[in-house]
Amino acid sequence: MKLQRIREAIDKTDRELVSLLAKRMELGLRTRPYKKNTVDTSREKAVLERANQARLGLLEEQFVTDTFMAIMAESKRIQNMDLSLVAFQGDHGAYSEIASRNLVPHKAAYIPCTRFSDVFSGVMDGGFDIGIVPVENSLEGAVTQVNNLLTQTELKVVGETVVPIHHCLLVRPGTDHREIKAVYSHPQALGQCSGFLERNGLEPRPYYDTAGAAKMLIEEDITAAAIASPLCAEIYGLEILKEHIEDDASNQTRFLMLSKTPYDKEDGDKCSLVFATTHEAGKLFEVLQVFAEAKVNLTRIASMPHRQDKGNYNFFLDFEGNENDPKIRSVIEAVRSHSKNLNFLGCYPSISGK
Amino acid sequence: MKNLRLTSLFADGNVRARSTVDVGGVIVGNRPIMIAGPCGVESEKQTLTAAVAVKEAGADMLRGGAFKPRTSPYAFQGLGVRGLKILEKAKQETGLPVVTEVIDPRDVSWVAEFADLLQVGARNMQNFSLLRELGRVKRPVLLKRGMYSTIEEWLNCAEYILSEGNKDVILCERGIRTFETYTRNTLDISAVAAAKELTHLPIIVDPTHGTGRPSLIQPMSLAALAAGADGLIVEVHPNPEKALSDGDQALTPAQFSQYMQLLNRFTGAVSGWK
Repeated sequence: MKLQRIREAIDKTDRELVSLLAKRMELGLRTRPYKKNTVDTSREKAVLERANQARLGLLEEQFVTDTFMAIMAESKRIQNMDLSLVAFQGDHGAYSEIASRNLVPHKAAYIPCTRFSDVFSGVMDGGFDIGIVPVENSLEGAVTQVNNLLTQTELKVVGETVVPIHHCLLVRPGTDHREIKAVYSHPQALGQCSGFLERNGLEPRPYYDTAGAAKMLIEEDITAAAIASPLCAEIYGLEILKEHIEDDASNQTRFLMLSKTPYDKEDGDKCSLVFATTHEAGKLFEVLQVFAEAKVNLTRIASMPHRQDKGNYNFFLDFEGNENDPKIRSVIEAVRSHSKNLNFLGCYPSISGK
Repeated sequence: MKNLRLTSLFADGNVRARSTVDVGGVIVGNRPIMIAGPCGVESEKQTLTAAVAVKEAGADMLRGGAFKPRTSPYAFQGLGVRGLKILEKAKQETGLPVVTEVIDPRDVSWVAEFADLLQVGARNMQNFSLLRELGRVKRPVLLKRGMYSTIEEWLNCAEYILSEGNKDVILCERGIRTFETYTRNTLDISAVAAAKELTHLPIIVDPTHGTGRPSLIQPMSLAALAAGADGLIVEVHPNPEKALSDGDQALTPAQFSQYMQLLNRFTGAVSGWK
């Protein structure tokens, strides 16, 4: 029994080691946009020195040096792999990461960010190649923080995807369902599964993030459950006790792919823009009339309060067409003349057109 | 009988319409239905093989135990929630609604998340806290007759479930203990007709446990249908010799297929078997 308990602790430590190594590689990769060369001998020397200063217990200097040489060699190899840096908000396993994997399935590293604004600014300053952000949920409506960032961004929308939100009840492997009392997740996910929680007498505990809750289960070693994506089960080594615990199976979120350079290809068949109007009668109507007369189909109209101009609104429009089509070009120009602060977000291939 | 929700007659003597129960889209109480599958869920492969085989032979629902009530505490106790996940997968693959046993009141809500029909086994027939819990879920219940129970005791147990608000109860005759030893139990076919006389609930018959002998499954199935049973529940295992429980009484997929063919031929004359 004692041996087994010690081995369990070893397994947990190994899991932490691997997850730290993955994080170390990710951070190494993130330095790439800011330096000319992957090899920097003075930096490597400093890393080895620092590692040996932190050395404690049974660790010999030679072992620490060898280990870190191996880590840095692998880090350099990854930096030379020509991976796209794809940023998303949330912890690993978040629904945004699923969207990222859908949109950039190959040759990519998926980098978690704390805030949506970190994704936007990171792509803007070249730290990331691509950013993936949720724009709208079928049950909850617009993701206001993202939509607000979109009103002012210079980034371009270069793609979209829709991710079905299928929540899973995750537990540490081997957990007895009868022992589960509390369930951790983002308040929105807890709300979307409230029927399941009630039926089974489980107490919802709000957490900052779905994937964060899954990560916490494995790190804190507590007997509870988390509501998160199936990807989280894979990433954190958790067991899926029950799939599809959401009350409404139609729940889905639409994500946009952002880049500094526009998509600019012929198969772009959807455009997004945002604008405001002056406080005059019929101004919004004039804009919509442009689309009606040109027979351009709108796929989304959303409004949100203008944060800099109290009492006024920003309007988000998605419509079908390619920006290089003369008809669409003249529509955009007409919209510009009838509105103010028009921000053309981009033209990209729609998910339905694929 | 004083069981107000169960009886076939209203207080004024008028006949109550017979109930039908919707189990994941399969209606029990119109034409006879067939429930088949292994005694216990042992592995994904074993369950999926059995599920595909019984579906091909024409079964309407899949059975399989994830929580097993065993005579000995050292016998295979079932895979628990992991077994329920396998049943859910078998349901996705075959489209067959799933029937599984629940033995603990604490598991009722969990089993209801996975299964379409919750079975109360013979050994738990008078587990009143379990019955009350089952009365509160929105899932139909299959109530087996206890091996030492009179018909009246059994029907009182159905009333427990109905009285809590769950009106979807299917009765199941599975044999009772007598002094006979050649058969595992004595299948009480008269209970089928009696239940129809006394109640408005559908009733099915389990000839596998009722006889404990594969050779007797077929004749007793025919007898049950002739007596008016709304369906049958039989055990089918892809490899009965290797089964972790009750292997000696299960049919092989080939035997089950033959059995279904014979039932189809015979029952055309008796009832609306498909």
